[in-house]
Amino acid sequence: MAEIEVRGLTKTFGAVTAVRDMSFTAPAGQVTGFLGPNGSGKTTTLRATLGLIRPTAGETLIGGVPYRHLAQPRRRVGALLEASGFHPGRRARNHLAVLAASCGVPGRRVDEVLDLVNLASAADRRVREFSLGMRQRLGLAAALLGDPQVLLLDEPANGLDPAGITWLRGLLRGLAGEGRTVVVASHVLGEVAQTADRVVIVNAGELRFSGPLHELGGSGRALESAFLRLTAVPS
Amino acid sequence: MPQIRTEFRKLATIRSPWLLLAAGPVIVVAGITGLVLSGTNVHDPAAQNRAMAHVGLAAVFTLIFGILAVAGEYRHSTITDTFLSFPGRGRVIAAKLAVYGLAGAAAGLVSSAAALAVTASWWAAKDAVFHLSAAGTWQTFAGGVAANCAFALIGVGLGALIRNIAGAVALALAWIALIEGIAGQLIGPGLARWLPFYASEALDRAAIITTRLLPQWGGGLVLLGYAAVFAAAAVLVTLRRDVT
Repeated sequence: MAEIEVRGLTKTFGAVTAVRDMSFTAPAGQVTGFLGPNGSGKTTTLRATLGLIRPTAGETLIGGVPYRHLAQPRRRVGALLEASGFHPGRRARNHLAVLAASCGVPGRRVDEVLDLVNLASAADRRVREFSLGMRQRLGLAAALLGDPQVLLLDEPANGLDPAGITWLRGLLRGLAGEGRTVVVASHVLGEVAQTADRVVIVNAGELRFSGPLHELGGSGRALESAFLRLTAVPS
Repeated sequence: MPQIRTEFRKLATIRSPWLLLAAGPVIVVAGITGLVLSGTNVHDPAAQNRAMAHVGLAAVFTLIFGILAVAGEYRHSTITDTFLSFPGRGRVIAAKLAVYGLAGAAAGLVSSAAALAVTASWWAAKDAVFHLSAAGTWQTFAGGVAANCAFALIGVGLGALIRNIAGAVALALAWIALIEGIAGQLIGPGLARWLPFYASEALDRAAIITTRLLPQWGGGLVLLGYAAVFAAAAVLVTLRRDVT
């Protein structure tokens, strides 16, 4: 099992507390929606889970182990982060080939994931020619490259067209159905309501809710009103 | 080591670093040609080493090439993917030092060979005798390779410390064009010869000026020392820094 555990995570940047004593679990075999307004600490939490940010206090574990102690981390955990980038002069296939070299997966896996995200026809173009949606697909291909048991995706639907969003929903449901742990940070509540089994809602760096989606009503409209209530500034 | 394999793969799949390295031999050829065309007496025995010493100019490009190793990854945010693959950041910096140092040395070899070929060609064109076996020729040849390698290593450390390409390149160029010259005058020649570009002059101009410079091997060791200090600082800082 490869569940994600966030335990008492606190992170301060100078005088700003980005995350305060956050704890939740994202279980295997489910899609967990990770929701919160801009600046609520979602990205900081994801980055801490991936070992990119050092917690001020607390810890984050993947299958019981901190990310930095995973052997072959890219084959255990796939990540799509907003700020992760591409060299504009590198061809899409080569971007994945670099990552394949870094985690020891064979070259044919590059073609498999290019097919999977529907980028095979653009594989030999330089990334500077790519639209936002194509970059997003390439980022997803990179996350899936190591066939990981755990996926952490920050706004994966960003830039995708309606058909792409439907495709992504099927992909994420399928991955969770295979027993993988899928965490999706998103602002698109209607989409989360259709995809997620559980939701984690944070506001101002603190946890406001963690539990099954149906506890918040289940529909997109019910999720939206719960979200707005949970993240409202206390009056 | 997968870190080293990955760094080679990164370099092999973009063009800009190679264009930068290719500029090295071009500037060396242009510099030597300029020296000859500006009326230098090629029959003067010292002129041959003065021409060959232009190989040191190419190190400016290996320095910038080295800066791109880490600062370029921050520029395009590919550093996130790099650290996701290899959470042991110290080994990433070590692999970059190995790969960029090797590439810098290879570029230095090309620049030294270009210096040798173009100097010999001009000497032949001017009916002067080119002394291939003169001690200074091969000393400068080897010094050019070493200087180009050392500045690539210094660049890797500098780029990892500063992370901003424009800032790191501006600092490096300002150091070369202004700061070291002024600092050298302030502290006097006895201390100035320990500064990095004085040390690199000792490496590739050893046969010309010996009085106010370190011996050639000394210049090499001093440059290696600078590279080691920058690399150590780069690793310490990179281990502690959050990647946001």
